[in-house]
Amino acid sequence: MRKRFQLKGGFSAADLLRQNAVPILFLFMCILGVIVSGQNIRYIAQELVSRLARNWFLVLSLIIPVTAGLGLNFAIVLGAMAGQVGLIVATHYKIPGLLGLSVAVVLSVPIAVLLGISVGHVLNLARGREMITSMMLGFFANGLYLLVFLFMVGTVIPVDNPEIMLDSGVGLRGTIELKYCKYALDNLLKVRLFGVNIPVATFGVVIALCLGIRWLYKTKLGQELRAVGQDMAVASVAGINVDRTRITAMVMSTVLASIGQIIFLQNMGVINTFNSHEQIGTVAIASILVGGASVTSATVGHGLAGTLLFQLLFIVSPSAGQRLMGNAQVGEFFRVFIGYGIIAVALLIHSWERKVSLESASRQSALKGQAKATGNM
Amino acid sequence: MNRLRNAVVLLLLAVLAVTMVGCGGNGEETGGESSFKIGIVTGTVSQGEDEYRAAEIMVERYGDRVVHVTYPDNFMQEQETFIGRVTELAADPDIKAIIICQGVPGTAAALDKVREMRDDILLMVGVGHEDPQVIAEKADIAVDRDEVERGRTIPEIAKEMGATKFIHYSFPRHLSIPLLSQRRDRFKEECEKMGIEFIEISAPDPMGPDGIPGTQKFILEDVPLQVQTHGKDIAVFGTNLSMQEPLIRAALDAGCMFPEPCSPGPTMGYPGALGIDVEGMSGDMKAIMDAIEEEIIAKGGAGRFATWPVALNMTIIQSLAELAFQAVEGKVDLSDLDAITAQMEKEADSEMLVRRYLDGTNYYVVIAGSYIFGADN
Repeated sequence: MRKRFQLKGGFSAADLLRQNAVPILFLFMCILGVIVSGQNIRYIAQELVSRLARNWFLVLSLIIPVTAGLGLNFAIVLGAMAGQVGLIVATHYKIPGLLGLSVAVVLSVPIAVLLGISVGHVLNLARGREMITSMMLGFFANGLYLLVFLFMVGTVIPVDNPEIMLDSGVGLRGTIELKYCKYALDNLLKVRLFGVNIPVATFGVVIALCLGIRWLYKTKLGQELRAVGQDMAVASVAGINVDRTRITAMVMSTVLASIGQIIFLQNMGVINTFNSHEQIGTVAIASILVGGASVTSATVGHGLAGTLLFQLLFIVSPSAGQRLMGNAQVGEFFRVFIGYGIIAVALLIHSWERKVSLESASRQSALKGQAKATGNM
Repeated sequence: MNRLRNAVVLLLLAVLAVTMVGCGGNGEETGGESSFKIGIVTGTVSQGEDEYRAAEIMVERYGDRVVHVTYPDNFMQEQETFIGRVTELAADPDIKAIIICQGVPGTAAALDKVREMRDDILLMVGVGHEDPQVIAEKADIAVDRDEVERGRTIPEIAKEMGATKFIHYSFPRHLSIPLLSQRRDRFKEECEKMGIEFIEISAPDPMGPDGIPGTQKFILEDVPLQVQTHGKDIAVFGTNLSMQEPLIRAALDAGCMFPEPCSPGPTMGYPGALGIDVEGMSGDMKAIMDAIEEEIIAKGGAGRFATWPVALNMTIIQSLAELAFQAVEGKVDLSDLDAITAQMEKEADSEMLVRRYLDGTNYYVVIAGSYIFGADN
């Protein structure tokens, strides 16, 4: 799709613009937003850095299923739940600092693997409808999560800890403060650059993940993931176990999401027990789409750039809206309209782009056929 | 085709650019004052009109010294935006106090982030949704409605009206909320003390299969039946918001008593049930109360209907803002219960009952005195 040799002289500027229309549109809006909002540049930089540290890992967890042809994985919500379970246990046992986070990761990975395997199985049964199925699975798992933490904790699961439980002794509090491992990763190595605090360790983890994903694509498993993503039938003929490969992709995504959620929450410092996980799906998916990814192709670059642009727009747009309209709430409506409006436009441009590529590809083959026919005459 | 699409994209960009730049001149300038400022964070009118109007009143009262911003309507999913709005206020060194009302989920995390940035700022929360203990630790002062104490005051009002029986409409989902079941138990206890018969009736859950209309229909049909069996001197109370309008209408028709809506205030239930157009009265609680009283007396309900003459959330915001100005200048101690009560009574122009909810903290709960419509006639 990317290389279209029929255009003489390679890429034209218009072509480049069109292929990256979504990120360019977002960038343009961000720059306008920064100018209009009149916010302090240092504040914007600080807010952006801390939001990137929070979100990058989670967004990157979406990439592998896209490669494997499973579309955007709304079921990262399940991974997030696993991550929260780990954090809640670590908080219950009062395990401090980085050790607490490590314990949370160690505890959540097996849960995430289990959830990933089950989701993978379900999605194998629902081929072609993976995205909506994964979204529904998220809702279903949320019910289960509520059942466990609102009802079973304190009754079936014997826990007695007034710090995290409701006064009645059954169920967890709606807000749990991560007293012991708050900011543990962020504060591990903090560098102050131009008055902006940069959590180097957190970014280090993100870079490691980026390199890991790159490395994965060079391995045999990575090739298989790609093959399955491109054409399941062909991959199957080539001797790849399609079902197992798809399940592997889901497991990896769910595990990464659980770690991502742990990074996210250690930066927030507080878990909203019953809805922290619900927020991440839509935002992460919107971010990666903004970066220029689509349902069928997503790269590390899309994830990184998309999160940057999405978060930047959401930092500046409330203020920009308020200043433009001179009214607090109209500013908020304006932000929603612009922010989500652009995402809708992004999706529109994607489908345009796809349609045009398909059209020109078929025109190309038709031309070839014609040439062959004339050649034969 | 390609050209057409590019043209459309460019046109869209141009339109957006022109809109933004064109409106740029109307932006409201803040700052420029040497004296300190305070920030107020509320929802938009679609989430709660009272809070938004209260913040507007404070902006009118203090001009540039009050900065009003709104949190997202979809606050459950956009906590990062909400937190961003709060930290944005804190990034302005002139702002010495921030008031958040309502304290939607994410408040605890937002307070933490602000504390990370600055320690010379007062943090105030009205009507928190998160766990009181967590909020009490992080905020300098928090104020909320006193649900449990209303278990005593509401039967007292019913007694004053001359009720012999008290009917409590609710449903299992609501009664599993600790605060509401505690309040129900208190009702029972107080009614027994005063010699009022307490009758519990289970209504359909508005979240159930018949939805809100099912609940409202049940109320409209059941109240006349209760009056037939128990006579007119019964007081009715419902725990759910959607029950209030049908309760008022049915009680007025059947001639029984209605001591208080579930969330009391002039704007709650009465204007809708009596068909009062509050346009032109926004923010003027006195005018709304007068209109309700006129209508109640005209329909023969004098002395049998009551509500709080204050919109509590408005009073909370206005009092906290006034207290903020005084506290920053060191004129008031936020742990002084009498000072808080005096300020709230001044803003509400009515009697208020304030008490400390959690010992050793500045987490206060409050109830207002009730007003019985047409009691003097």
